[in-house]
Amino acid sequence: MSRPLFPAQEIGSLMKPRWQILGQHAEPLDESARSEFVRENERTHFASELPGAADALLAGHARELGGEAVRDLGALFALRLLERAGLARVYDGEARRIEMFEYPIRQMRGFQFQGHVRSFDNKYYLKAAVTDEVRLEHPYHLEEFDFVRRHAHGEPKLPITGPYTLADWSYNEFYLARQRGWKGRAVRRAAQRDFVVDLARRAIRPTLAALIEHGCRVIQIDEPAAGTHPDEADLVVEGFNAATDGLDAEFSMHICYSDYRALLPELLEAKRCRQWAWEFANRDRDGRDGYEVLRALADYGDTREVGLGVVDVHRDEVERPATVADRIRRAVGYLGDPARIWVNPDCGLRTRGLDVARRKLEATVAGAALAREDFESGRR
Amino acid sequence: MIVRTGLTGPFPRPEALVAATRDLDRGRASPDAVEEVFARTEAEVVALEDRLGLDTRTGGYLRWMDLFRPFAETWEGFSVGPLTRWFQTNTFYRQPILHAPPGRVPGAIAARLPLPARADPARGGVILPGPYTFAGLLDNRSGEADEALVHRLGRLLSEEGRELAGLGFGAFQFTEPLLVDRPPEGALAEAVVAAYRSIAGAIGPGTALVWTYGADATPVLPLLDRLPVGGVGVDLAETDWESLPAGGERRGLGLGVIDPRTTLVEDPAEVARIVRELAERRRPSAIWLGPGAPLDLLPWEPATRKLHLLAAARQALGDADGGPR
Repeated sequence: MSRPLFPAQEIGSLMKPRWQILGQHAEPLDESARSEFVRENERTHFASELPGAADALLAGHARELGGEAVRDLGALFALRLLERAGLARVYDGEARRIEMFEYPIRQMRGFQFQGHVRSFDNKYYLKAAVTDEVRLEHPYHLEEFDFVRRHAHGEPKLPITGPYTLADWSYNEFYLARQRGWKGRAVRRAAQRDFVVDLARRAIRPTLAALIEHGCRVIQIDEPAAGTHPDEADLVVEGFNAATDGLDAEFSMHICYSDYRALLPELLEAKRCRQWAWEFANRDRDGRDGYEVLRALADYGDTREVGLGVVDVHRDEVERPATVADRIRRAVGYLGDPARIWVNPDCGLRTRGLDVARRKLEATVAGAALAREDFESGRR
Repeated sequence: MIVRTGLTGPFPRPEALVAATRDLDRGRASPDAVEEVFARTEAEVVALEDRLGLDTRTGGYLRWMDLFRPFAETWEGFSVGPLTRWFQTNTFYRQPILHAPPGRVPGAIAARLPLPARADPARGGVILPGPYTFAGLLDNRSGEADEALVHRLGRLLSEEGRELAGLGFGAFQFTEPLLVDRPPEGALAEAVVAAYRSIAGAIGPGTALVWTYGADATPVLPLLDRLPVGGVGVDLAETDWESLPAGGERRGLGLGVIDPRTTLVEDPAEVARIVRELAERRRPSAIWLGPGAPLDLLPWEPATRKLHLLAAARQALGDADGGPR
């Protein structure tokens, strides 16, 4: 099936609207949350699709309504926001998720949460240690996917945290203890490999299989930790391959804020990965060409699709469509074939306010249209 | 064998302090209330350091946002820059931006040292950035060449050390992960040696310890052995210790025996065996045992559990003065 050049896709989470946060906490909406709800509903009329829930929330009956119904509303809101912006592949803005580590780990056995670690300043994240063999309690993300599939007008694309990242963000206790002798670099690496592969085989693959069974066709495996240890790129790949072994879906791998060259060529061994979804716009400034790194893919003869980050999720300044179009043209220059390119934000837009996020998505779609016009009219 | 033990970096914040600082950021707690939790936690860290018989009291450096922040916020020529990944970890620092030749502000760093360390400077452990790591990880927009900047930071840190030594501090650690992660060569390596000559001249060579971590120190050992300091620390989880060559006599050897990348507690007997073997091979004047990398890569509870290894290893080594007090 042919599709227009440079289709746009979601890449991750959106900021949760204030009305959703208050509603989930069973708190009545204050004036700003109420007007935010009304304003957003005027754009997409999402509330009319779940009228009972919307009415109850606005009437201050969040407690009676229950958190799940509020999350349904939040998911529907995000879905319609993405669709109205013109995205071809959509999800729910991860409206039901809080973060990408704790939730999947809580669906498994073999882990014990240890407490908070400081990420920077007064920001922390919860860390778990694997203290026994990894086992999956039950496949996850199924209910949220079912909801999206029932309501989406665009093609659903599900993001899921990859095995390497889950392992890297955990403390490896069980698999390390199985190794004999001093736990030096080589021993730790062997233990980490066991951990990654077990996560992939015992937890991620069954979950992916269940999602596919539910009709999920497009799956993005998030591996933000891949760039932390470039010398472990082969473990990223081994985890990806084990997680997707024998499964039939369109898999992509999302990595961001990393030195992609340092991960090549090992990363190219991810057999069932059809698309690299990477961040580029953040590094495309101060006279530097953030897309030049794509040359490395061409140098290695890799011909997979690229999910091209064309808007920066760490700045409020909204890119002009002409800037997006210029970025796409440069990417085509490095990759050769324009049909390989999807466009998306660099990463999840949850770092930005909803209004900025919406305008960045609209700029993404408008910029893609400009570039498409160029290529289809033969100006390029 | 003289064995010394101590923290080599910040200690993690306990859950109560995590909650308090989060509340502060969200406007749900007053600065005074959070200050109380900080003070209480510092006292807990000191009590732990004392209980385990550690030779230095640090108080955990709980208020330092990162290794450079007190300098970037108080020294002249700096501003605080963007979040930047701290080596191969999932933690970040705000990269200092150097706009002009740096200048130190007397008293500024002393005022930022943990209160318990200031209260008893004779036992207070001072943990500062090393000049090479500092110069290499900042965003240098001052126009100064790398070698000159290492020289200059070495001079400023030596002045800092002189001031702190004057206040009674006697144990200084200069934290240098970059020395093993991205070893300097040629003129830059010479600048590092010169910077430490300047530091040792200011505080006395026996009191300065250079602590490396995060990568194998073996290839850099020839340079580390040239640094005119009391000792050099290496991260045993990263260093190919079996390949560490003989040498380094009459200098101290720091061994990072706790790996904060895992909650698994190291075996004291195995640690003692490795320490003995290295002591035999390197014949150091003293051995410092500590965490190989900052313990705040762990949450409070497992970090506390793992810190007990220092006392246990010391006992296993048969140190007469060691063991929990």
